[in-house]
Amino acid sequence: MSNGKTVEALADKAQIGMTADDLAKEFKEHSVAEFFKKNRQMLGLTGKIKTLTVIVHEYVSNALDACEEAKILPEIEVKLSEIGDEYYEMYVRDNGPGLNKETVGKALGQLLAGTKFHRLIQQRGQQGIGAAGCTMFSQITTGKPIQVISGTGKGKAFKCDLTIDPKINEPKIMNLEYIDKPFQGVAIKAKFKEVKYQKSDQSPLEYLRRTAIANPHAKISFTEPDGTTTVFDRSNKEIPKRPVPIAPHPKGVTIDELVTMAKYTKSRKVSSFLKEELDRMGDKSIEEIAKAVDFDLNTDPKKLNWEQCEEIVKQFKKMTFIAPRLDSLIPIGEDRIKKSIKSIVEPEFLEVVERKPSVYKGGFPFCVEVGIGYGGNAGRAAGVDEEGRNVWKSEVMRFANRTPLLFDTGGCALNQAVQSIDWKRYGVRDFENSPLTIFIHLLSVHIPYTGAGKQAVSPEEEIMEEIRLALMEAGRKIYRFIGFQRRMAEKEAKKKMYYKYATELAIAVAEMTGKDKADIEKKLHDIVLKHLKIEEAKEKAEEKKWDTISEDKIEKDFEKTKEKEKKKALKGKKKSDED
Amino acid sequence: MAKTEMTKRDKEVSDKLQNVGTEILKQVNKGEGPTYQLPVRTLNNVFFDQKSKTIKLGDKMSQRQFLNVAHSRKFMQTILVAAEIRKVIDEQATVSIRDLYYALKHTIAGTDENTFEEQGESDPVIEDIEASLDLLREELHLAASAKGIIAGDLKIKDGKDMIDLTKMGSGGWSVPSNVEPDKLEIKDLDAEYVLFIEKEAVWRRFNEDQYWKKEKCIILTGKGQPGRGERRLAQRLSKEHKLPIYVLTDADPWGMYIYSVIKQGSISLSYSEEKLATPDAKFLGLTTMDVEKFKIPKEVTIKLNAEDTGRLKEMSAYEWFKNKEWQKEFQNMKDKNYKLELEALSRKGIRFITETYVPEKIKNKDFLP
Repeated sequence: MSNGKTVEALADKAQIGMTADDLAKEFKEHSVAEFFKKNRQMLGLTGKIKTLTVIVHEYVSNALDACEEAKILPEIEVKLSEIGDEYYEMYVRDNGPGLNKETVGKALGQLLAGTKFHRLIQQRGQQGIGAAGCTMFSQITTGKPIQVISGTGKGKAFKCDLTIDPKINEPKIMNLEYIDKPFQGVAIKAKFKEVKYQKSDQSPLEYLRRTAIANPHAKISFTEPDGTTTVFDRSNKEIPKRPVPIAPHPKGVTIDELVTMAKYTKSRKVSSFLKEELDRMGDKSIEEIAKAVDFDLNTDPKKLNWEQCEEIVKQFKKMTFIAPRLDSLIPIGEDRIKKSIKSIVEPEFLEVVERKPSVYKGGFPFCVEVGIGYGGNAGRAAGVDEEGRNVWKSEVMRFANRTPLLFDTGGCALNQAVQSIDWKRYGVRDFENSPLTIFIHLLSVHIPYTGAGKQAVSPEEEIMEEIRLALMEAGRKIYRFIGFQRRMAEKEAKKKMYYKYATELAIAVAEMTGKDKADIEKKLHDIVLKHLKIEEAKEKAEEKKWDTISEDKIEKDFEKTKEKEKKKALKGKKKSDED
Repeated sequence: MAKTEMTKRDKEVSDKLQNVGTEILKQVNKGEGPTYQLPVRTLNNVFFDQKSKTIKLGDKMSQRQFLNVAHSRKFMQTILVAAEIRKVIDEQATVSIRDLYYALKHTIAGTDENTFEEQGESDPVIEDIEASLDLLREELHLAASAKGIIAGDLKIKDGKDMIDLTKMGSGGWSVPSNVEPDKLEIKDLDAEYVLFIEKEAVWRRFNEDQYWKKEKCIILTGKGQPGRGERRLAQRLSKEHKLPIYVLTDADPWGMYIYSVIKQGSISLSYSEEKLATPDAKFLGLTTMDVEKFKIPKEVTIKLNAEDTGRLKEMSAYEWFKNKEWQKEFQNMKDKNYKLELEALSRKGIRFITETYVPEKIKNKDFLP
């Protein structure tokens, strides 16, 4: 009997009335599944379209992590087939190190296993509840197990069916079979109901496109339900270095984290616990803390209670520390981003800016990489206008630790930073309707997400500022390109106009003077070309001024105009109040 | 049609026009972007000439450039008009400005753009050529469509035809656009003044009542803003025959402006106002002061709108209106906040205007300067 049916039976029972004992028994038996169902929203599995994208994310980010850890260039295949109404089968295959009989259960059949809580490391992270969560979701919507094939490339591979026993949150492996063919990596086949595939900016296709952009060393192919296959080839063959975990910085640690760390520490004294497990903690700092707290730092850290940890953290806030180490961040890199965007987005012009690592809230290192693509296939094609010209919409691609963020755009600091830029200053006359792709990658040992769905970054001042500076720097270079493009178009339009009138003018002058019309027209054309050349040279000289304007000046000017606009708006408001 | 021999003046004018083409060719041969110089015809380049008592054009010049995005089309149009007019003169024809517009209107090869989209584009270019070459429209063999009508005790020799303006019936005689002495002779004039009436309907009332016969005068209308023909004719009657010109318009800013154009000239034709304006003209009415003088009931007045108030303010600043009589009238109109039409006088009887109002105003010399 499937779990789905059990739940239905439960619902039936609820209608005829249940005893308290029944309820307790059923609750225990189905607690994990029930928790899962009731908290879908919290787990990021809301919306039929979004759920499918999140599932793809869980599988693909696992595959990428596994490959990188094993130093294998990732090759990932995702295939989605529609097998009924809001009923799909997903096939995901990677070429990673593979799972064995023991690890397959933990990875795919145990909720909350191997979670990476309290680890300060630049990591992709889960958006929902991980690959095991997907197993659970498949199970409760279809009642069917997932199918797994795995092998290390050497020796025998195996295949099995897998479900989760919701009573004890343990994997149940069935139909285990060994295969003789060599196989490397993990292939998962899972069925899902209550989901929907739809082409949109938030579809699995867009998710994978962006994943490929931020992971230029990966080859990803995706087959849509209608059979279309899109391959995002790798533009780089280097496997990125694995980021290393760092000890929490005193300015970035929370009371809760400190309590947990104290519980598991190997240190015998609070003083050595703090010194060893926190970053930038010297003897002087320990002395300062010893003076400030009203308990002995020589006690066993395992005995630290919440109040004591709170005292310590409060003291941290009053102290000064050296900024956290920044070498824990592994950016994608300017050249790699350039190549990647060039091959996948295909803009006519591209500028990438990588900022130096920085720190937010005093304790968390982060770094920003920004790219602006303009023209060509940048932006999203939005059909043609009344006059048959192509219309473009700009697109903003947000990434956190190489993972695309597709949802909650409005509430995300990355998007807010883009919106706060006065794009007209960079030659973009209509930001929304321009052939523009903006790539923003935030990497940090701790991404400050706004919610459990991990789709939006909260607007930390330092992060906002870094993104803005990066965008402005790239914007300045883009400005020159757009200016050039516009100049060329304007030059062409002017030439056309002058030539048009030259034709008429030549006829009239020839008529009045009796001279040759063609000769007059030819001379007029030469005059027009000479004139346009001189004009262009003048404009170029004008543009050169931009080279000498510093970022600072641009910022100041921007602040000034903002201030002016504010005053103006205020004045206007006053006036209308008076009216 | 067989060509008649060109007069000396026609030849001069034709050469002047040809010179426009020659000058451009010179510039082109030197590899320069062609330009055309012309006087600025806007309010800031006109002045009121105390001597002639007319508006005159100042000496500010502007350059129309082929290699200027904002000028290029107009530059092309200017040269096209010059060439076409020269052709008309050489063929010894006279055409209307509307003919000229259609003669020149065509699609530019390889585009979907016309050389001229509407007559409103070619008319000002004609004025530009008149002003820049110091030529009269008549000398360019151009005519505006006849608009005005006239009746009274006089004869006019128009070419070979002798016309008796006492025998024009209810329609009156239509004033041609060229009324220069070489075209039009005024004969057997037996009148004491000219009544220059704004509105055609009011003119018809005066004609029907045989006012010109009873009062020994000439009645003339330009049907709204008068054209060059009517204005030049009024000037000739004033200058050559010393007849007083009395202007009769609605009591509103538009009527006052028509009077201003008849008397001092307009800004756009400021370059030839000496040939068109009648500085001795006097304003007979209607004024808002007449409302009380003639006990005209208030209900036939019309409240001023925003545009009226604006025009009123503008006009009270015109130099030629800066006398106490006019300022008083402006002030009164503003204070009373009303205007009224000539037809409003019919409230006092349909012949009130011809039998009482105008004769009394003339008898009392109750004019505005």
